[in-house]
Amino acid sequence: MNNAMRATADPAVTVEHNPRAVADSRWRRIWNANAPGYFFLLPWLIGFFGLTLGPAVISLYLSFTDFDMIRSAEWVGAANYVRIATADPKFAAAMKVTLTYVVLSVPFKLAFALLVAMALNKGVRGLPVYRAIFYLPSLLGGSVAIAVLWRQLFAGDGLVNAALAHFGIAGPSWISHPSYSIYTLVALSVWQFGSPMIIFLAGLRQIPTDMYEAASLDGASKFRQFYKITLPLLTPVIFFNAVVQTIDAFKAFTPAFIISGGTGGPINSTLFYTLYLYQEAFGNFRMGYASALAWILVLIIAIFTAFSFLTSRYWVHYDD
Amino acid sequence: MTFSINRRGFMAGGVSLLTLSAMGAPAFAADSRLRLIWWGSQPRADRTNKVSELYKAKNSGVAITGEFLGWGDYWPRLATQVAGKNAPDVIQMDYRYIVEYAGRGALAPLESYMPSKLNLSDFDQAQVEGGSVNGHLYGVSLGANSAATVLNTTAFQEAGIDLPTQATTWEEFGKMAAELTKAGKRKGMFGMADGSGNEPLFENYLRQRGKALYTADGKIAFGVEEASEWFDMWNKFRDAGACVPADVQALDKNDVDTNTVTLGKSASGYAHSNQFVAYQQMNKDKLALSNYMRITKDSKGGHYRKPSMFFSVSAQSKAIEQAVDYVNFFVTNPEAAALLDVERGIPESKAMRDVVATKLDAVGKIPLEYVGGLGDLAGKLPPPPPSGAGEGTDVLRNISEQIGFAQLTPADGGKQLVDEITRILARG
Repeated sequence: MNNAMRATADPAVTVEHNPRAVADSRWRRIWNANAPGYFFLLPWLIGFFGLTLGPAVISLYLSFTDFDMIRSAEWVGAANYVRIATADPKFAAAMKVTLTYVVLSVPFKLAFALLVAMALNKGVRGLPVYRAIFYLPSLLGGSVAIAVLWRQLFAGDGLVNAALAHFGIAGPSWISHPSYSIYTLVALSVWQFGSPMIIFLAGLRQIPTDMYEAASLDGASKFRQFYKITLPLLTPVIFFNAVVQTIDAFKAFTPAFIISGGTGGPINSTLFYTLYLYQEAFGNFRMGYASALAWILVLIIAIFTAFSFLTSRYWVHYDD
Repeated sequence: MTFSINRRGFMAGGVSLLTLSAMGAPAFAADSRLRLIWWGSQPRADRTNKVSELYKAKNSGVAITGEFLGWGDYWPRLATQVAGKNAPDVIQMDYRYIVEYAGRGALAPLESYMPSKLNLSDFDQAQVEGGSVNGHLYGVSLGANSAATVLNTTAFQEAGIDLPTQATTWEEFGKMAAELTKAGKRKGMFGMADGSGNEPLFENYLRQRGKALYTADGKIAFGVEEASEWFDMWNKFRDAGACVPADVQALDKNDVDTNTVTLGKSASGYAHSNQFVAYQQMNKDKLALSNYMRITKDSKGGHYRKPSMFFSVSAQSKAIEQAVDYVNFFVTNPEAAALLDVERGIPESKAMRDVVATKLDAVGKIPLEYVGGLGDLAGKLPPPPPSGAGEGTDVLRNISEQIGFAQLTPADGGKQLVDEITRILARG
């Protein structure tokens, strides 16, 4: 306001001849209108720039250096990326473990979550209680205590084998045998089905009941109703859950870290990608290399997500 | 609605903030302020903090803060602090990492403070040397220990088998362990832990054969032949039922809590002497310490006395002299020694050893006597492991597991071990 007023008062400079003054006043108006908003956003903005974007940009820079956390970083060009691509057998091992985990845990977890959500949707008495109980493992999901518990359950003399012994089966030590250890982690992940379940439950509530009534009048079986009504109408929710759970699965760390004692063993069978990244960064002081690994993971997740979005148009039906 | 902070308001606020902080400053001002960091459990923290209290009582105007973490969390924290130029003044350092840190200029060389500020004259000189890298002293040893076999004497007695002696060979011990397993007095207990992936044990085996893990200039110091024979020996132990199966051994996270001896899965295992007190606390049976077995009756011992851990001073410290003084107090003050006991190993100073020896209980005496009684089994301390040795440890464990789970033959395993360690060392 001030600038504009001063500009008109000055006979030599009119508003029309000074576009900057106009721009200034416009910016000032926008500022005056939005400043409180930005002020209240400030904590988040500081957090985002200081704790998320800033470190991300720095790690991108570090991925082209040989930073060892103590000496200053030296530029090495694409050497870290070249090494990942051509000369790192552990990268391949970690990738294999992680992909196995993603491919197994996500579909099973979603199927299980949908199954439980449908059961709960039948109008069970005390629904909120069940919902809370089933959701609990998800809340505890990344916690150390649960991973420790899992270690106890699946150890050679753990509860699972004690149960199997009743049927005369002598189970192996699930968590410490390279052929089985990954499956105990998949099982742990499936057990934490709570958060996709809650979202499925909300999605199921959106489906109009008269559709089912009409279908059953026409003599459609339960299975056919599920296949023809529930599933298609639920695809947006399935899509959302699949994307979120896939990203989560790629980033899984805590269970493998606890169950293998940070080693990724036995024989790299639980060497999750993030665990390998952690070992390189903090165990072997190769922060530059670990940063490169992190960016490769970002790239892989981005590709998976983009692929999901591209294919979604063929199977996700939005109700419009 | 408009919203703005004008310049005057901003200045006023800023000035008042500055005033506040200036007023606050004297409250924190001590003449000097030391920060310590170490790894270990609560009992170690209690002992360390008591020594700090004692030091403060004798040096007015020094404020000391200490923090401690478990081994696994310790190294990431320390590396982050050093990278952030925020390293504590006094740092507990391990033999395995001292070359990494000293080589990168993170630690202050201490030899110029000797002997006026730092008096290590009645230390075992070989042990002082252990804290040196490239001719500079970077760490003061806090105690000596040695690798050892832990024996569950109760389990041996129950099975009617004599304990091994200093003369027992691996072959004999393998037979004894297999017998103990066969006796089956305890469900699921084997004669010994699977030590094929245990680096100190493998090193001992190499030293008995006149080899070593690494040379002084950081190269691999053993060949495919030794490594293959080592893995082959353990395969025979596994086949005979002398040692625990691979899936039981895989649960061992290389600490006292998860060791097969502690879990009651084996009657013997491999440890370091300063861990003995903790082992005994966690086991109802009576335990004993013995040396690692000999390859042949007349083979030289592969043991050595090793600095259990060091105190180093950060090169970034603003109070290096004060920090050196604290370290000196820690290792040479009799009252401090009495508080510290043998929890970090046997004191290096002879005078402090005498102080501690009079106070030890029966369990505490066992490691003291064990390390003192090694005799001709103890040889020269090897040079500090080179950069990348930490990865070598993981590779040994990984390959021993592949052989244990029958995914690799001992011959191929030996070749792979040598190849991978050579590759790691070349990378640095």
